[in-house]
Amino acid sequence: MPHVSDVIRAEDIGKFKNLQMLARQVVEGFCSGLHRSPHKGFSVEFKEHRSYVPGDDIRTIDWKLFGKTDRLYIREYEEETNLRCTILLDSSGSMSYQGSRSKGVSKHRYAVATAASLAHLMLQQQDSVGLVTFDKAIRNYIPPRAQPKHLTPIINELQVQKPKHETELGSVFETIEAKIHRRGLVIILSDLFGDVEQLMKSFARMRHANHEIIVFQILDPDELDFPFRQWTQFTCLEQDSNRHLIDPAQVRKSYLEKLEEFREQLARGCSRHRISLVPMTTDQPFAETLAAYLALRRRTS
Amino acid sequence: MTFLNPLLALGALAFLIPLAIHVLNRSRFKTVEWGAMHLLESVIKVNHRRFRLDQLILLLVRCLIPVLLALCIARPLLTGSKTMNPNTPVSLLVVLDTSYSMEAMERGGSKLKKAIASAKELVASVNKGSDVYVLQLGDQPVPILDQPVFDASAVVRRLDQVEGGYGGCDISAAMERAIATIDKMSNAHRELVIISDFQKADWQEILEGNAAELRAALDNLKVKPVLTFMPVGETVPGNVSIQSIAFPAKAIGAGEPHTYRVDIHNHGAAQKENARVILRVNGKEESISQVSLAANGSTQVLFTHAFSQPGSHVVQAEVVCDDPLEFDNRFSVSMTIWDKLKVLLVDGDPSPLPLKSETDFINVALTPFSLGRFQLSDLIETETVEDRKLTTEKIDSAKVIVLANVSKLKEAEKVALVSFVEKGGVLFVFPGNRIDLKWYRESLFSAGNGILPAPYVIQKGKQEDSPHKIVAQHFDHPSLSFFNERSNGDLSDAEITRWYQMKEPETSSSNELRKSTSVLARLDNADPFLMECSYGKGVTIQMATTCDADWTDLPLKPVFLPLIQQLVTTTASRLVPPRNMTTGEPAVAMLKGIEEPQTMTVRTPAGSERVIQTSLVDGDQVATYRSTIQPGVYSFSGPDKNINFAIHTDRSESSLELLDQEDVERMVVATGGTTAASSVDYLANDQLRRNGSEIWKYLLAGFLAFLFLEIVLQQRFSRARA
Repeated sequence: MPHVSDVIRAEDIGKFKNLQMLARQVVEGFCSGLHRSPHKGFSVEFKEHRSYVPGDDIRTIDWKLFGKTDRLYIREYEEETNLRCTILLDSSGSMSYQGSRSKGVSKHRYAVATAASLAHLMLQQQDSVGLVTFDKAIRNYIPPRAQPKHLTPIINELQVQKPKHETELGSVFETIEAKIHRRGLVIILSDLFGDVEQLMKSFARMRHANHEIIVFQILDPDELDFPFRQWTQFTCLEQDSNRHLIDPAQVRKSYLEKLEEFREQLARGCSRHRISLVPMTTDQPFAETLAAYLALRRRTS
Repeated sequence: MTFLNPLLALGALAFLIPLAIHVLNRSRFKTVEWGAMHLLESVIKVNHRRFRLDQLILLLVRCLIPVLLALCIARPLLTGSKTMNPNTPVSLLVVLDTSYSMEAMERGGSKLKKAIASAKELVASVNKGSDVYVLQLGDQPVPILDQPVFDASAVVRRLDQVEGGYGGCDISAAMERAIATIDKMSNAHRELVIISDFQKADWQEILEGNAAELRAALDNLKVKPVLTFMPVGETVPGNVSIQSIAFPAKAIGAGEPHTYRVDIHNHGAAQKENARVILRVNGKEESISQVSLAANGSTQVLFTHAFSQPGSHVVQAEVVCDDPLEFDNRFSVSMTIWDKLKVLLVDGDPSPLPLKSETDFINVALTPFSLGRFQLSDLIETETVEDRKLTTEKIDSAKVIVLANVSKLKEAEKVALVSFVEKGGVLFVFPGNRIDLKWYRESLFSAGNGILPAPYVIQKGKQEDSPHKIVAQHFDHPSLSFFNERSNGDLSDAEITRWYQMKEPETSSSNELRKSTSVLARLDNADPFLMECSYGKGVTIQMATTCDADWTDLPLKPVFLPLIQQLVTTTASRLVPPRNMTTGEPAVAMLKGIEEPQTMTVRTPAGSERVIQTSLVDGDQVATYRSTIQPGVYSFSGPDKNINFAIHTDRSESSLELLDQEDVERMVVATGGTTAASSVDYLANDQLRRNGSEIWKYLLAGFLAFLFLEIVLQQRFSRARA
């Protein structure tokens, strides 16, 4: 039977235990605070009194108040829901990149570990967690459930993922959006390499459906500073036929400019749609990044 | 192009190293499986061509660096199309301006010293086997050594001895000689270098017209020499010069005071105050005068001097003032002072009564002081003889013979008379009522081959007719030019009532001795009044009327005395070889009546002494010194005779104005030459022409520049390598 430790390394489990304590507070704070429902219903949290109008359920009339004021008021309560979280894991070829500085951890493996720990966290919190793995299309969809044993199929799924194929983030996200009917939290783990404009369109659609979106952009440090020196043949991880022999020194400056432009575009788009974009690099321990981010969220919420 | 170290040029093959590194780099690449391909690809797609170009440029620069270094070490020479062994001998002809303007002082010494120094450097720099010829530019071109020589050091030694004082500047003659000489020089490569101050007065003629001829002459040579102009010095202002001394042209006797006019010119644009003018006679200071010289103006200073002793004397004027050129501050003339001039008057109509004899008037005119019992002495000593008593001895002893109304002479005397004129005697012929026309025509004129200028044809004029006069025109003849000044007397005052018509000869003479015939003065009816012809070394002057008052009142007029004096003294003094000449004319001293050859010493203006031997010419000993190339005084000293010659030069050199840079350039273009500012410049040009130019400095600069460029390009193409 798969276990969380299969996707998270031993030392990370240690960290994660600490994190769990931390996350418990964090998630409570930020999840329940953030995902407050606009629907009023039965709950312990009182919201307000309202004058009775014919048609209202008479059970909601506050009789004590009627006794005091001789007027009919209705008690309204805050409806509190469980968090429905869907983790979208990018399993395309580009995620398999593994630089020299990331200690043998590919972006995909990093993403898997992050996803596992998030799922673990959520489920411990009795929130429902689902998982979507995709490359150019959806590979597998595990709908969100809140049972603790739901972690098993998720871990199971995470373990079997091998990154390959190209990515079509825009179209994939549209399909996923169609599958997630109830609004909730969508966590995306991807390098987001692709057409930013299309991506932003699908993000906009998701936001329109009132989904809260957090994007963990996972990049390798090599992709950020392009450290290659000697003549190098770059082979595309998504298309084998696509290869270029270049002197990296010549390309470096333009590449970094392009990268900066790309990231800025993303950041601009995300901020426009009120999406949290969290950059992660594979040489940083994901637990720390995650914790730092969650802490930040709590402070800002 | 050639290399001094050709083997090192092989080092250029080191360009293979960066090439190899490049190829190796490309072949030993690393493969990376890359995720962010969409970013990388967009960069590569846009910049693909630029990357290729950058790589190519960088590779090229890197390959060029070792090539440049190797070439630099190999020391290449640019030789142009003509390559020549650096040690090839040449034929070098230097035309060195030694005209007196070169003696002008400027900063750092005289121009001549600078020119000589340049010439020495040029000569000393020639390769072994080169022949060298140096021609001094003066009134006449003077070579330093007669032939081109292969011993450059000998030429340098001779150049050390060169001093100025070669007078003016005859460029055409010098170039002619230079071209003729260089044509005969031995080496295949020929250089013609002109070192001069390029004074405007001298070079204007080349600039205005002769440049093309000069160029054509150079082009027509078998081997065309390379012509180089090397200007020396700059315009120095404010020169003062003595242009001339005007002295009496006639024969002068001892004790006669005469006036000498010194012409001084200030070439400068500033007035010169308190210039002292000194007159020296035979080196002894006689008189001093002080003048102020207006800017660009001329002044004349008059000195009067009487020589106490007959003989040859030197009169020198010197102007003392602050000016850059010393040479033209002095001017010397040679004066010949006569002892006595013996005149034999042959009287054809003697009379015991005073002033009735035919020669009385002329006797008075020739010896006014003696007859007037003045203190002053006469130059002329007369002796009157009747025509019947004339002997050949008397003819031979005279300097001047006057035939006055002589009917005719016996054959022996006639022969003696012809010989007298031929040897340099002066004969005056005056007609009268007694003359035998036929004898004069046949014996003396003898169809244009005799000593008489023209035959007397017919007696003209009658007592009752209105008298004729002498036309007072401008006289060119030196004897009569005195009367061009009206204050000296007017010849047209005299009235001539009777005269003989003289028939001017129409054909030229067949006798070699008989030279020119000319009419000196005419009557107002166009008949000749005074005629002259040269015969041998002598001269005959023939008048149309009498020398007494029978046919004319001329002897009664005041003008008669100066006329006769001028005619006799000027003509007599003209007949000795001239002693005031221009450079190049031979100095000839005649020792009369000496049979034995004599030894004479000639002292030149430069101070050197030459010994010459006289030779017998027509019964006289003659000493000739031909190389009067330097202006100044040449003194001939013999056993009992001292003769001075003053050699003059053109004073146009005194204007120290030079051709401006533009004119020099124009001349250089017109003659197809080049210019060199100095000997160093010339040698550099020569080096360039001969060896090509060394370009290793440029290559080294290029090498360093490329090193720097490589760094810059690398930085630029791959800004901040990781």
